[in-house]
Amino acid sequence: MNMHSKTDLRELSYAEAIREAMDIAMARDERVILMGEDIGVYGGAFGVTGELVEKYGTDRVMDTPISELGGAGVAVGAAMTGLRPIFEFQFSDFATLGMEQIVNQAAKIRYMLGGAVSVPVVMRFPSGSGTGAAAQHSQSLEAWTAHVPGLKVVQPATPADAKGLLLAALEDPDPVMIYEHKILYKMKGHVPEGYYTTPIGKAAVMREGKDLTIIATSIMVHKALDAAQTLAAEGIDAEVIDLRTIRPMDRDTVLTSVRKTGRLVCVYEAVKTLGVGAEVSAMVAESDAFDYLDAPIIRLGGAECPIPYNPELEKAVVPQVPDILEAARNLAKGRV
Amino acid sequence: MPTEVIMPKVDMDMAKGKIMSWHIAEGERVSKGEPLFDIETDKAAMEVEAPADGILHHTASEGMDIPIGTPCAWLYAEGEEVGEQPAPFAGQAGAGAAPEPKQVEADVPVEAELELVDAIAGEATDKVRATPRARSLASGAGLNIADLIGTGPRGRVQALDVETEIALRDTRPAPLASPLVFKAETGSLAVTRSKGGTGTPIVMIHGFASDATSWSPMETHLKHRPLIRIDLPGHGKSPKLRIDSFADLVREVRRAFDDLNLDAAHLVGHSLGGAVSIALADTRAKRLSSLTLIAPAGLGPDINGNALSGICRATRAESLGPWLRSLVANEDIVTDSYVRLAMAGREDTNLRAAQSRLADALFPDGVQAFDLRAALERIDTPTRIIWGKQDAIIPWKHALRAPGKMALHLFDGVGHMPQIECSAELGRILSSNL
Repeated sequence: MNMHSKTDLRELSYAEAIREAMDIAMARDERVILMGEDIGVYGGAFGVTGELVEKYGTDRVMDTPISELGGAGVAVGAAMTGLRPIFEFQFSDFATLGMEQIVNQAAKIRYMLGGAVSVPVVMRFPSGSGTGAAAQHSQSLEAWTAHVPGLKVVQPATPADAKGLLLAALEDPDPVMIYEHKILYKMKGHVPEGYYTTPIGKAAVMREGKDLTIIATSIMVHKALDAAQTLAAEGIDAEVIDLRTIRPMDRDTVLTSVRKTGRLVCVYEAVKTLGVGAEVSAMVAESDAFDYLDAPIIRLGGAECPIPYNPELEKAVVPQVPDILEAARNLAKGRV
Repeated sequence: MPTEVIMPKVDMDMAKGKIMSWHIAEGERVSKGEPLFDIETDKAAMEVEAPADGILHHTASEGMDIPIGTPCAWLYAEGEEVGEQPAPFAGQAGAGAAPEPKQVEADVPVEAELELVDAIAGEATDKVRATPRARSLASGAGLNIADLIGTGPRGRVQALDVETEIALRDTRPAPLASPLVFKAETGSLAVTRSKGGTGTPIVMIHGFASDATSWSPMETHLKHRPLIRIDLPGHGKSPKLRIDSFADLVREVRRAFDDLNLDAAHLVGHSLGGAVSIALADTRAKRLSSLTLIAPAGLGPDINGNALSGICRATRAESLGPWLRSLVANEDIVTDSYVRLAMAGREDTNLRAAQSRLADALFPDGVQAFDLRAALERIDTPTRIIWGKQDAIIPWKHALRAPGKMALHLFDGVGHMPQIECSAELGRILSSNL
């Protein structure tokens, strides 16, 4: 956000920023259409599409039946025939039902047809815990799609990036999956006016520091920044990086930071095992940045269990600010 | 104790050498300086002389690769009991790392040797807990990670431990060099002649604290000519003569040159040897076909006195290394093993004392106390000057004080040792008009 001029310092919520991005895109390109369950008159389960149906009509803001597989299939087909659909899965958990279209169709078609056809579909996945919606409505499954070549996967952490990454996704000729954290929808932040894009595949250094690197995604970026502030008061200078895109991952930004600090914490809400943190850790271990490590890498991720309904347990199973503080202090003081 | 016969480093980028053939059979007597064995590197084949008198035992078999700076045979004194081989040959046990021969007890049975090498290698890699960063810092600073005290969890050595050690080392007062007692010797200067080559010979005079072997990188490029190398007094194999002034030094070298009885010669001098060459050319002009001065002394007052005294003072590879590295632009070419080998050649206290004394006579207070510009003006022999622009010992700009009739070759990215740092280019230059 700090790259935009001061005159642009206007605040929107994350949800409003996404809506503004869709509005701008639809106004400048009539190929852009919205699809999803309850996104029309109801305005979307989290109110993200809002009143766009009134402005653009039901031809371009389409409620789809309660079949993720069907809706995703129509979106993929529409993209192949020249439209620029933005498909919203009501909860990212329900995307499990649409996986055939995402993994076997959207990701493969360009390759299997020898490049003759591309699939410029954009899919939005409201995800994450913290809403008391329990095990089937609170997951962070971004690593599922990030494992599939042919897809690009982004996780905006700020309103400005939510807008910029959505507009960048629409410019991309290939399928782009956008994982939005439900808790962030109400979060406010500066959002520049007008059309702009945030590059896919580029991480953002949110705070520069020299003692350790915290690589975070989505809502964890904010928890990491909170922690960094506390750490600064203790004399520990943490660098915080918002990964923003998890496929393709911004290798340069991560390795440059690790070479500088020699200590790394990866923090993400998804289940820790076989997740983004594993990929970041392996990327560092396999690179020349390995020689700069002065401590083991620490991953902070979700517990090995479904997200509980009990609100206290729900908090306990995903990383919180005190967890980041503890890991960072241990690393900075050479205790691990 | 038997004398180790060490695999020498003859190329800057050489890691090991292959034993081609032994000139002396196992159990036979050899005298110091006699050809002992032939080696082959990636670039060259050369003959290695016996480092001492003795009876040859435990020779590495022909065709074996031996890491440089490690033994490939042992020389026993007359009557000395010949036991088991004092140490296994380095790099033969699959461990890769060259174990320090001293770590292996002399009475280890042969069968146990390989296991012992493995155990030592295993100790070095497995038992030291250290972070990757600590390891890279330590190796960059020439520290052995195993010598450091780890303050991390379970004694792990971390970057801070290495940094602390480096800081301590830097602030630790350098042991004041006990005044070196110099014992003057007599005799004539050592001369090394190449075997092949035809036509006008090339006479080479090395620089301060160096010796005739410093010309080795030039050999392959100049093998069409006879090469004659003179060791300065108190250097290499020359006697440690008492030298009180630059004039004393020139007198000794001139005597050695005259003894060569040459009608014609191409004279090449490096650094202090360059200054000597100017003086020689000034008085022996008729016998010189050309003069080549590589980073010569004598053209200006500036010289890196710290490096000179640092090299003289060094008693260990750790203290010699930084100064050797200051001689070149790309420090990578001065490897740890090269430094160890150079230190091995400087272990003679009297040699260091002779050089300290010479430095004090010629470069008091780190200043070149002799000025050869007038001599240089007088020289009509075709002369070329070669200098590296990153020379940290004598500034290349001294070259601009030479008269215009002389050719000047300046090399970017090269320090004080062009004959090592860009030997091929120098070979071409030296061959071009000779």
